[in-house]
Amino acid sequence: MITAHHLTKRYGDKTAVADLSFTVPAGTVTGFLGPNGAGKSTTLRMILGLDAPTHGHATVAGRAYATHPAPLTEVGALLEARSVHPGRTAHHHLTALALTHGIPRARVTRVLELTGLTDVAHRRVKGFSLGMGQRLGIAAALLGDPATLILDEPVNGLDPEGVLWIRTLLKRLAAEGRTVLVSSHLMSEMALTAERLVIIGRGRLLADTTVTEFVRRSGTTTVKVVTPDAPALVRHLTAPGVTVTGDTPGTLHVHGTDAEHIGRTAAAHGIPLFELTPTGASLEEAFMALTHDSVEYAPAEGTHA
Amino acid sequence: MSTLAVTPARVLRSEWHKLWTVRSTWINLALTPVLTVATAVAVASAYTPGEGADDIDPVLLTLIGMQFTQITVGVLGVLMTAGEHATGLVRATMTAVPRRLPVLWSKAAVLAAVCFTVVLATNLLAFPAAQIHLTGTPLAASLTDPGVPRALVGNAAGLALLGVLALAIGSLVRSVPAAMGIFIGGVMILPEILRMLPYDVVDRAVRYFPGKALESLTHAGPGPGLASPGTALLALTLWAAATLTAAAVLLQRRDV
Repeated sequence: MITAHHLTKRYGDKTAVADLSFTVPAGTVTGFLGPNGAGKSTTLRMILGLDAPTHGHATVAGRAYATHPAPLTEVGALLEARSVHPGRTAHHHLTALALTHGIPRARVTRVLELTGLTDVAHRRVKGFSLGMGQRLGIAAALLGDPATLILDEPVNGLDPEGVLWIRTLLKRLAAEGRTVLVSSHLMSEMALTAERLVIIGRGRLLADTTVTEFVRRSGTTTVKVVTPDAPALVRHLTAPGVTVTGDTPGTLHVHGTDAEHIGRTAAAHGIPLFELTPTGASLEEAFMALTHDSVEYAPAEGTHA
Repeated sequence: MSTLAVTPARVLRSEWHKLWTVRSTWINLALTPVLTVATAVAVASAYTPGEGADDIDPVLLTLIGMQFTQITVGVLGVLMTAGEHATGLVRATMTAVPRRLPVLWSKAAVLAAVCFTVVLATNLLAFPAAQIHLTGTPLAASLTDPGVPRALVGNAAGLALLGVLALAIGSLVRSVPAAMGIFIGGVMILPEILRMLPYDVVDRAVRYFPGKALESLTHAGPGPGLASPGTALLALTLWAAATLTAAAVLLQRRDV
């Protein structure tokens, strides 16, 4: 379990993270979301003791990360920026980290296998592609066989194959019962893997919820209705909180009510329906709506290039 | 199998492993004997008695290549600390050892031990190699002459301490070029500039500067305007220790 208690980080006048509190329960995959510059990396670095918070503190399994006798066995971390000497081989890099904890050599071989790096283990990291670099970062994170993993933007910049690999890995780690905190600025990516969400914007907590709850509450569920008598249906559906839009004749997009109500209304007035489809809100749209006000460099509305 | 935990001995092994698994270490350490022995032989064979060089200390003359070694040990020390910031490796290192200080102590210990050993072995090669060309001259000396073993060992100790000084500077400024600039400027150039100032007090103080202290340590006999070997070793140790302490304090406080 990871807990952030009122984490605050200020650099001079600029506040990167402001009074941020949240909990990542054990055994869950939690998505840590926010637009670029929201303070995600800074928060993760504070959890790992790389950055000192201006106020507040973070704990991993009940105590500060730095006070664990064998930190790599508690938390494995993949940081956003590369943290490898390019002139060292993957095998030597992992061995150097393993030696600090007395982790056996067999485990180095094992994590190289797990991440598919066995064939390039004795090549210098300099020649690694972005995807191979990410795999090496994951291998390092898995070295101590930790119960908790912190992954900062693991899919950033990866090709589709790499993205798929990370997705599969996250699911496997979750299935093994590990706690995973994974940051991203892409909501859609999180919806595929995470069950819980911690969303921040400009360093502040915007939501600490589950994915299903987030979708339900975001209130952007739309029902697509196809009917030959659209004007009549619109008339009968009109109520506070309900909005109807239509792009093509005979097709309506209804917000603010559910398919059952629309169906019953149509039946009550004898309006034929050809199609009645609830479409789950686009998570990306819900996320954008939530973080809209906290995007660091939002384009000014109404301006045209 | 013992339990998994970070211990000082394990951090030391990790740093030892790191040092030997990058090419720059091998290059720097190979350059040390090559440059020192080559310079020793070149200077000794060019020496002609009676041309004004007769009162040079025989060990200092032999080890004149230490001018290069100051740079190679400096580069090695700076790469061990500032180099980790340049590559980002420092984040992985400090995540594995979040208490941080064992990393700094281990790096300093590994570097000092390696530099001392390599430089001492180099000196034991360079001195006899140079003496082949100096037999029968006023500068003829043997390994067993008074002061000679002390100077050969003292030079190795001095260069090891200079390496630690460079390592600490690298940790403080976190940039390889800046650290090299400060190291070369402070150790090799600054004393020469200060000595040009016409003040006696400055002249005396400069004797205790790292570069000058190394020169004192490299003398078999007493030299004019030099501190005694004991005082020089103490001064150099204090320089390295003070800088390393400053590096430790800042390493604890700063974000990685």
